[in-house]
Amino acid sequence: MKIGAEVVVEVDGKEVWRGPSKSFVVNLAKVLLGMLKAPGGAPAGVSALIASETVTAPDASSKTIWTEWYASDTQFAAGGTTLAINAPDNDASYGIVVGSGSTPVSPTDCNLASKISHGTGAGQLDYEPQTVKSSYSDTSSYVEISRAFINRSGGDVVVREVGLIGRNYWAYEKGVLNDVKFLIARDVLPNPILIPNLASLTVRYRISLSL
Amino acid sequence: MPREKINLNIDVSATVVQGREVKLPLLKCEAFADVKNDSQELEPVMGWIEIEVRDLKGMVINRGKHEMRSFVNNLIRVLEGIMKDAGGAITSTSVTDTGGVSRTAYVEWYSSVGNVRGGGTVMAGLAPDNDSSYGIIVGTGTTPVNLNQVSLASPIAHGTNVGQLDYDAESVEDLGLDTSVSPPVYRFRLIRGFKNLSGDSITINEVGLVARNYWKDNGGIRNDVKYLIARDVLPTSYTIPDGGSATVVVTIEVVLG
Repeated sequence: MKIGAEVVVEVDGKEVWRGPSKSFVVNLAKVLLGMLKAPGGAPAGVSALIASETVTAPDASSKTIWTEWYASDTQFAAGGTTLAINAPDNDASYGIVVGSGSTPVSPTDCNLASKISHGTGAGQLDYEPQTVKSSYSDTSSYVEISRAFINRSGGDVVVREVGLIGRNYWAYEKGVLNDVKFLIARDVLPNPILIPNLASLTVRYRISLSL
Repeated sequence: MPREKINLNIDVSATVVQGREVKLPLLKCEAFADVKNDSQELEPVMGWIEIEVRDLKGMVINRGKHEMRSFVNNLIRVLEGIMKDAGGAITSTSVTDTGGVSRTAYVEWYSSVGNVRGGGTVMAGLAPDNDSSYGIIVGTGTTPVNLNQVSLASPIAHGTNVGQLDYDAESVEDLGLDTSVSPPVYRFRLIRGFKNLSGDSITINEVGLVARNYWKDNGGIRNDVKYLIARDVLPTSYTIPDGGSATVVVTIEVVLG
C-alpha cells in the first residue's frame, strides 16, 4: 500500500506542472502528533486544555495549538478545530497559498519565502475560495483540495512556490480563545510559472492511498 | 532521496546471564537504505511496527520490526473533513466505526448557546489502561488488508479470559526531527503493552490503530466515534505464552522537505 501526495499546477486550465509534494514541514508532524496523543475523553467536569502541541507560526513565533480542549463552567457555545484548511474567498492567510520565492525548502520552514498577498495591486493575486473532491474504493482513494488565483494586477505575476497553511481555531460565545495559522507544506516549483494579466492559476494538492 | 527495502535477518549472538547461556531470539526486520533513483516516488508518511514478546520470566523470546503500510479510507475521510473545514463553524465528515456503522465525525464542533464546558478532539489515539476499543489494538486475523476495512479481522479483546489480552495504557514519545537521514524525517511513536493472563498462549497476526472522535458539554457526550485508521497484517506471527507479554511500538515518520 502507498500513501502519496501530489501537487498539480494549471494556468488557464492547462496543466503546467505535476509532481509529488515532497515538502511537508515539521508543523505537519506536530499536528499529527498532537492529535494522536490526545486521550479522547476527559473525566466528567474537567474543563481544561487536555492535549496540545507547539508549532511555529508564519511570523516565526512559537505557538500552542490545541488538540483536545474543554471550556469552563462559564464559557457557553464553546468548541473549535485542530486543523482547518478551507480558507474562504479573498483570504491569503491560510489554505493553499502561492509565492514568488525560490529559497530551497527546509523542514523547519514556517512560511513561504515570499508569499503573494491577496489583491489586485502589482504583484498580487486574487485568491478564490477552495474546493474539495474525493474518491473512495477498496484499492485506491484520494482527497484533493484546489484553489484558483486570478491575476488582476495589470501585469505579469511569477509563481515559484506553493504551500499549505492550516488553522487551529477555538472559541466561545464571547470571543476567540486560540487562532493559530501555521505552514504544513511548502513546495518550490522546478520552473517559474508566469501568470499573465487576467489569467488564472489553479493549484491542487492530492493525498492518495493505493494498494 | 527514495528508500529501497532490503531484507535483513540479524542473528543476535549468544550471551551469558548469571552463568547460564541464553540464546537471544532472531531479530526479524525489514531494513531500508537510501538509494539514488529520482524516478521513484517518496511516500510522505511512513510507519514502522515493532513487536517484542517476553515470556513469564521477562526474557525476550521474539521480536521484529516491520514496515507499516496500511492506512485505510477513514484516515482520508478525516482529511477530507479537515480540507472542508474553514474554522468558525461546525464541520463534519463521515467515517465508518469499528462496528461497521457509518457515523458522523466532527472535525470542528461547538456546544449550543445554552451549554457550557463544550469541547473535544478529532482523532485521539492515546487509549487508557484496560481499553481495547481504541489506540493500538492487536488481533489474530490474517485477512489481507483493503482500504475499506473498518476493524481488525479478529480483534483480541481486553481481559483475562482465554483468547484475551490485558491491554496496558498507551504512551507516546516525541522523537523529534532527524536531519541525519535524507530527506529528513520527523518521528514520534505510540507504545502499548499487552499481558497474557488468559491461561493459554495467544498469537498476534494483525495490528491496528483506532482513533476516537469525542465531543461533549455539560449536557453529556455529544459524539463518541471510534474508527480504524490503519491495519497491518504482520508477515510473521507473534505468539505470547501464558504469563508472557508483548510490547507494540508504532513509529510514525513524516518525511519532510
